[in-house]
Parts: sequence; C-alpha cells; structure tokens
Amino acid sequence: MKKLVVIGIALIALVGFTSALQAQSARDYISIVGSSTVYPFATVVAEQFGKTSGFKTPTIESTGSGGGLKLFCAGVGVEHPDITNASRRIKKSEFDTCQQNGVKDIIEVKIGYDGIVMANSKKSAPMKLTRKDIFMALAKDVPDPSGAEKLVPNPYKTWKDVNPDLPDKKIVVLGPPPTSGTRDAFVELAMEGGAKKFDYVKNLDKKMFKATAHTIREDGAYVEAGENDNLIVQKLEKDPDALGIFGFSFLDQNADKIQGSFVDGVAPTFDAIAAGDYPVSRPLYFYVKGAHVGSIPGIDAYLKEFTAEKAWGEDGYLSDKGLIPMPDEERKKFASDARSLNPLMLQ
Amino acid sequence: MEASQTAVNGAASATASQLLVDRSHRETIGQQFVENPRMTCRNVDVYYGDKRAINNVTLDIGSNEVIAMIGPSGCGKSTFLRCLNRMNDYIDICRVEGEIRLDGQNIYSGEVDVVPLRAMIGMVFQKPNPFPKSIYDNIAYGPKIHGLVATKSETDEVVETSLKKAGLWEEVKDRLDQPGTGLSGGQQQRLCIARTIAVNPEVILMDEPCSALDPIATSVIEDLIDELREQYTIAIVTHSMQQASRVSQRTAYFHLGDLIEVGTTDQIFTRPGHQLTEDYITGRFG
Amino acid sequence: MSDSTINAPASLAAMPSKRTIDVVNAGLAKRYRAEKRFRIYGVTAIILSLCFLTLLFVDIISKGYTAFWQTKVRIDVHLDPEVLQGENLQTADYPGLVKKSIRNLFPDVQGRKDRRLLNGIVSSGAAFQIRDLVTANPDRIGSTVQLWVPADDDVDMLMKGHMPRDVPEDERRLNDKQLAWIDQLQREGRLQKTFNRILFTVGDSREPELAGIMGAVMGSVYTLLITLVLSFPIGVATAVYLEEFAPKNPWTDLVEVNINNLAAVPSIVFGLLGLAVFLNFFGLPRSAPLVGGLVLTLMTLPTIIIASRAALKAVPPSVREAALGIGASKTQMVTHHVLPLALPGMLTGTIIGMAQALGETAPLLMIGMVAFIVDIPGGFTDPSTVLPVQIYLWADSPERAFVEKTSAAIMVLLAFLMTMNALAVFLRKRFERRW
Ligand SMILES: Nc1ncnc2c1ncn2[C@@H]1O[C@H](COP(=O)(O)OP(=O)(O)O)[C@@H](O)[C@H]1O
Ligand SMILES: [Mg+2]
Repeated sequence: MKKLVVIGIALIALVGFTSALQAQSARDYISIVGSSTVYPFATVVAEQFGKTSGFKTPTIESTGSGGGLKLFCAGVGVEHPDITNASRRIKKSEFDTCQQNGVKDIIEVKIGYDGIVMANSKKSAPMKLTRKDIFMALAKDVPDPSGAEKLVPNPYKTWKDVNPDLPDKKIVVLGPPPTSGTRDAFVELAMEGGAKKFDYVKNLDKKMFKATAHTIREDGAYVEAGENDNLIVQKLEKDPDALGIFGFSFLDQNADKIQGSFVDGVAPTFDAIAAGDYPVSRPLYFYVKGAHVGSIPGIDAYLKEFTAEKAWGEDGYLSDKGLIPMPDEERKKFASDARSLNPLMLQ
Repeated sequence: MEASQTAVNGAASATASQLLVDRSHRETIGQQFVENPRMTCRNVDVYYGDKRAINNVTLDIGSNEVIAMIGPSGCGKSTFLRCLNRMNDYIDICRVEGEIRLDGQNIYSGEVDVVPLRAMIGMVFQKPNPFPKSIYDNIAYGPKIHGLVATKSETDEVVETSLKKAGLWEEVKDRLDQPGTGLSGGQQQRLCIARTIAVNPEVILMDEPCSALDPIATSVIEDLIDELREQYTIAIVTHSMQQASRVSQRTAYFHLGDLIEVGTTDQIFTRPGHQLTEDYITGRFG
Repeated sequence: MSDSTINAPASLAAMPSKRTIDVVNAGLAKRYRAEKRFRIYGVTAIILSLCFLTLLFVDIISKGYTAFWQTKVRIDVHLDPEVLQGENLQTADYPGLVKKSIRNLFPDVQGRKDRRLLNGIVSSGAAFQIRDLVTANPDRIGSTVQLWVPADDDVDMLMKGHMPRDVPEDERRLNDKQLAWIDQLQREGRLQKTFNRILFTVGDSREPELAGIMGAVMGSVYTLLITLVLSFPIGVATAVYLEEFAPKNPWTDLVEVNINNLAAVPSIVFGLLGLAVFLNFFGLPRSAPLVGGLVLTLMTLPTIIIASRAALKAVPPSVREAALGIGASKTQMVTHHVLPLALPGMLTGTIIGMAQALGETAPLLMIGMVAFIVDIPGGFTDPSTVLPVQIYLWADSPERAFVEKTSAAIMVLLAFLMTMNALAVFLRKRFERRW
C-alpha cells in the first residue's frame, strides 16, 4: 500500500515534468493577452476559430491593455504571447520597448469601437448630460463657481448644482477603479472633453491639465464599484438615483433594466456610436507578433476569422456581442492589412 | 529503635527543614558494591540545564537481583533510572556525567549504540503505555524491529511466551487482535512488561510500575517481578516501602539527588544506617 | 502526634463560622444564571452562522438551479447531399443546413433582418452538433434527421422566466416577432427543457448555452493533484524534521519564524514568485496546471507544516518513550508510532490547505490561469483554468444567462469541496481505526 502510493507520486511527478519539458519546446495553440474590453469579443472569435478551423482554441487572458502590451513586448519565443488586445492604440514608448526586445514586426488590427455609457435605472428619467457636466460633477477640483480663474475642491452635491437644467438629485456615480481600461477611456474622452470647455483650464500646462481632468473626486460621490460591470448593473437597479459607468455591451444586454444617458445630446445607441456621433467612444485594437506567424500554428487563420465579414461586419457575430463595427472602408483597409501582415510603423 | 538510630548517626540528626537547605554532597553509606555486578555506576552526575538532579552517585547493580530505589518524590530516582538505558538522551537539556558500565562496557562511550543497549536494558514506565495497536502487535513490535523473529510462527511463539511470562496469556489469548489500550490498567501494565521481555533483555528497569494500579493488580505484578528475577536483573523505583520490601533484595535510598544509603532490603528497613533513611521509612517526611 | 491534634481545631476556628454549604447555596443561582447566559450566547452564535449559511445556500441555489436545465429546440435537418457530398466533412456549411431547417418551420418569414432574427432562436452550437453527427455517420447523408439542439440563451432565459415578456418591446432582447415564433414552437411541441448535459461535459464558451464547467473542473483536478502530491510529502517531511530531529539552534528558529510568516503572506505574492521563478526562470508554460500546482504548493506548505507540527506535538510522550524503551531507533519511533498517530491531524491540515488552494484565483492571475480556455485540458501542461476562475469569468460576462451559470458553477465548486472533505474524513477514519 505505502509502496504503491510512493510509486504513484513518483510517476505523477515524472509525467508532469517530462510533459513540461515537451510543452516548453513547442506550443500548438495561440496565446492571447490584453484588454478586458476586447476580451468579450476576442473570446467569441477564438471559440468560433477553435470549433471550425481544426486548430486548438487560443487561450485568452484578460490582463488589461497596458499589462498585455508589456507581456507582448517582452520578447519573441513560445513563452511570450502571440497577440495582445488593446482598448487604446499602442504607445510610442511601448512600441520602442517591443523593438528593443526583438519584437520587430507588429501587425496592428483595429477591430471596431466601444462606447462607454453612463446609465441609470429605468425607474427614473434618462439623464441628458454634457461632457462639461460630467467633468464638473466628477472631477476632484473644479473651476471656482464664482468665476474666478482658480480651482477649488468640488463643491457640487447635486446634479442641479452642476447644471440648473438637471434634476435635483444627489450625485452618485458607480464606476470602475483606476486599474480598469474603461476608467482610462472614460477619463480621457468624457472628463478631458469637459475640462476643455473651460478656457483657462485648457490653457494650463499639459501636466496640470491632465492632473485636473483625470483626477476623480474622492468624497464619496464617485463610488469605485470594482471591475465587475454586472455588479454595477445590479446596484443601479437598487438605487434609481445612481449612475453607472460601463461598456456599451452591458447596456445592450440589460436594456430592460437600465438606460444610457445622453451625452452632448446623443444617446448611446449602436448606430450613434458606429456613426461616430456619440462622443465617449473609443477604437479597439489587437496587435500580432509577426515573428510568430508561421511558427505558432493558426495565427494567420485566426486573423482571417477575426477580419471576416461574418465576424466583425455590420451583421457579424461580434456585433451581436456589442462590438460597434467600423465603417465599410475602414474594415476593408484593416482586413487587407491584416491578411498581408503589413507591419506597423510608428515614428 | 530511635535511640539506636541516634547512636549510629548522631552527627546527621538535623531537622528536615535544615536538610532541605543543605545541598552539599553527602557521602553514601552502606553496601554500594557487589561481587558480580551487571551494571556499575561511578560518580554519576545528572544535570537538567544548570540544575543538578543527581549528585555523584556510585552504585553497583548485581546479576539477577532486584534492587529497589526509594526516596521522597523529586529526589531523582527516575532520573537515575533513566540514565541506565540512556533514556535521558532525548531530553535536550539533560546531561549525564560520570561512568555507567554494563558488563564492563561504558554505555556512554562513543562505541555504544543506544538501540542495542535498549534491547539489552528494557524499561517499564510509571503509567502503562501500550502502543495504540493490537495486543499482538504490541508484543511483536520489539522482536520485529530487532530482527529476533523471521516467520509468523516464530512471532506467534514469542508473543505467547512473553504474555505467559507476564501472566497475561490466559486473559487475552482470545482477543490478541484487539487494542492494547482497551485493557484494564493492571493488564496494560503487564502487557508493557510482556512487551519488554519479548525483546529478551538482560536488565529490566521499572519506574514505579504499580503507582497507577489498584492493590490486586499491584500484587499480581509484584509476584511477576519475583518470578522474573530468576532470568533478569531488575532495578525498580517505587514509592511504596512495602513494595520495596516485598520484591527487592537490595534497596537504595535517594534524597535530593544524593544516594544516601544502600543496603540489603532487610537491613534498610530494620536497621537504617542514616538518619535521613530512618526519617523516611518511619514516615517523618516523604 | 498529640501536638497536631490540638492544632487542628484552632486552624478550623480561623475560618468564618458559616457552613460551606450555605455559602455555596447562596451563590448557586448566580452561577447557574451565568452558565445559562453562556449557553445562550453559544446557541445564538450557532443559529446566526447557520442563518448566514442558509441564506448563502438559498441565494446560490435559487439563482442557479435553473442552470441545470436547458431549453432545446427540435429541428428537422435534411442532410443535403448537395451541401455535404464531396465536401470536407469538417468544414461543410452546417450553419446553412440549420438555417434552412429553421426557415422550413417558418416559411412565411421574409426579409434579411427577420431571417437573421429567426436564425438567432437556435444556438450556434447546433451546426457543430450536426457536424459531429455527420462525421460519425457519413452514411446518413441524404436523410432527414430529427434533432434536439440547444436554443439560444435569450430563448432559454425567456423559457426559464428570467426575462420579462410584459415590458415594452425595445427593452427586451427578444422582440414581439421572436416571441411569436417561440410561442409557435412551443405550441408545436418543439421546445423542451432537458437536463443540461453540456454544463457538465464541455469547457468554457462565450455562448452561455454552450458553456460548460468541465474544463475548469479538470483544471482544478490537475492543479490540486500537483499541489497535493508536492505539498503533502514536503510539508509532512518538513514538519517531522523540524519537530523531531532538528537541533534547537538559531537557524532552526529562523526557519520556524519564516514558515509562520509565510502562512500570512498574501497569496498574490506567491503568484508573483511563480511568475518570476517557474515561468521566467525555468521557462515552464503559461496557464499550465503544473505551474498552478507549484504556486499553490508554495501557498499551502506553511499551513500543512504548521498543522502537522501541531499534530506531532500532540502525540503523547508516553508513546515515544514506549517505543524508545524497547530499542526503537528515533526514525522507527517516528515512522512506526508518532506519524500514524499524527496523521489524522496532518490530514486535517492538508485538507484545509487544499480547500484554500481550491478557492484561490489571485496567485493564478500572474501565471496566466485566469484566461478564456475552451479546450478541456488533457494533462498537466495544457492550458487550463480552475473552478474559482471560471466563476469569476462568468460573473464578469455581460450575457444575462451567465448569472445562473455562475451560481451553478459555485454549486459545483461547493460540491467539489465537500467531496474533498468527505474523502479526508474517510481517510482520517481509516487511519484512526488503527488506534
Ligand atoms: N525533563 C526535565 N527537565 C527538567 N527538570 C527535570 C526533568 N525531569 C525531572 N526534572 C527534575 O529533576 C528532579 C528529579 O526528578 P525525578 O527524577 O523525576 O524525581 P523522582 O522520580 O524521584 O520523583 C526534580 O527536581 C525534577 O524537577
Ligand atoms: Mg519518578
């Protein structure tokens, strides 16, 4: 009995380590990392790809855009991911890191758009906000209400304080924590847009401007609700006065419970985001490691699957999942670039 | 009796409280030595850390004798007994100095291994401590680890003879596969004795083997010790002076780490040579 | 002698004149009151924790039990030789076959948009079901087969009552037309709820109706196997050495302090360590149960060591003396007597450690096990996730149908945990029976 156990343990350990050595020398599946916003779309493509292509299903980790690019740019070889998803474009500094680490050919694929919505429960009226309202309601420091050209700690308690046209309701906004890509995009697109409406804020030096526009108040009006957008939806149902910030796909899936707020007069609808009318929207990307095409099986087939009309087209299965497609022209350009593996150039 | 005592040892007739304070070594009186010793202890000191628990003890243990060790509790009887088979080795802070020989061989010298030593010098403890295994396994364990038995039938035989010698066979022969811990206290202690003699030792050390038993179980074990004497050398620590007088040929009286007096059991209990011995056996302190 | 008899009453007289029994009786009521109070506190605490536990279970089960059923649609698929003959059977146009058979059910639905909506009633998994059928029985090409295929998750939600019908059309994921089609299917007996086999047989999917827990279960099994196989022997050996053999010196003290400290280190730190050592230094594969097991081993070792040492300490010294007294060597004493007695306690510690490991996600994040993985892992180096990660990923998915799946996965996790505990209890009983 005891001997059997010992032999069993030894066997398992042996099998484990020999197979580890084997796996080290070859990887027969695509490894994808990156943005949590792109994750729901990439996973659908990967699953479809795995079921129809005969290749193994790619593994997809949701590491955030920055985390994904860091892993992606760490080097060439089976231990490094082949593709990274990003909810923003690659930065020059990241591109340079990639180059330094031997990741020379990077193929950029823009896949569509995502809208960031501010939504509230259907039990109350939809909000009609401007980006200026959003900035004034959520920034830590705002321009002095008296008109003097200085910043004061945010004094606004209700939406009516911010803008007399808005309802007399307490400002309560549930949103993602700073580690989230959604928060980054929200701050950049909505808050910055609002801050620019104040001339002297706009004229601050770049660093000061960023600090002003990107710093969200911490006095309880903005509640960090964690990365789980479903939780925010649940909380909105309980508190009709609260607003929540999340990706369009969650609004799409929960249209019976919540409604999106107008921003600058535009409601966050599929069409408005696709047309580029809704201001708080961002492009989504993924980046492919050119050096891995050919050595890791299936990368080109995956690119083909992703850029097929049935996936990212107007009526593709990704639009069912809430991805806002690019206009026809743009799709064509990126599809052909991707299929011919045109590497990205950044100055 | 009191008068004669004072005459023999007038110098030492101090009060008990004074004696407790006096920690300097006292010379042993009486017959420390025997003609054909099995074990010889010379100038043995035992320390627990800085504290000296045994103070320069010199004593012989003869072949096939039962020697009883008595004394007030805390005087170092167990400590001394445990030196004889090096049970103290496993107490980290315990240190033994001096010389203890078994058949002329110093048991504390580098060449002596404790494993065969303990196979030669078995030990029975104050509290019955059978292994949490079956009665059979309790007995068979020692012979097995020492390689004294090779086959099942040999083991069976050892188990049977050991239990018979310990006077337990009739009581347990039908339930050898039952746990040893399920026996009564007296049976458990006899099981422990059987376990000890199963290894066929030459010396048996017993540390108050009856202190946890009722009078009937005690007398059974006392009879057993008397029988075992023919084959083994036995050193027994006991609390009870009656027991010492019943089972032993010689008696050693310990007091606060000192060996005060050694003599034939008869002499110690009828004509103690030392005031302290007399105080103890007459019940003045203990 | 006579002195002491005179002295005795004097010392008694110094005591208060009251009889002891009176004093005791006077305080008795108070004593019992205190006792009763104490018991009430205890019972309250138990009831309270039972309430929380029930609440938790009721919540999870009420949300999740529907996930064990699945709505299926019966379609009649004509395995059209024109589509299938001469084609690669793997890549033929199966979705086309599905669409055609649905269209046959509703011949008067016209227009691209409506047809798309109509096709959406059946899961995309239907095509794969037909593919598997055809590749397994190529001789059936040309015949028409009747198939129960999974309905789309929205239909499933509607059938299970998780999606209200009585709200305005634009607030529903299914519009009035779709509702009408579904009602028609139901009238024709083409809708049915069956046991959700998919949930227990396949890996993850982004389509809730096609998502299963098996990939995560296997991932947990492989990961925990590695953890158990490494942490139990290493933990026990460490504990035995430290407790029984190690000399007492500053070095062993240092080791001891560090083991105790390790037990309090946040688990994510072990993930970072795993990333640096196993992935970056040894180059082991990402997302592999092997690495997950190694990381969780590091995490559980302190727990096992501490519990094992406590179990060893609890072995009565009399047993040790008994063994040593008949000449067992120190190793024999430990292996023959001390270890068997300490084993139940060690098992308890191990099971606590394993239960912790089963529930961990944080350390696995760093080594790539928090990932979307569809294929069921077949070995220690295949990419995989574990149960808690699957729960986390599903909880984070936008599709409404994943809500019940999440609760179902929690139930599976709990069942897994209970099985593990039961196994440990069983083993403990077995070892304890040997006295
Ligand atoms: N393990 C130990 N550590 C420290 N001191 C001990 C230990 N064992 C016994 N002693 C001390 O040694 C002295 C003698 O103890 P012991 O030999 O057990 O006495 P006895 O058996 O005669 O009652 C006592 O003072 C006791 O406190
Ligand atoms: Mg003692």
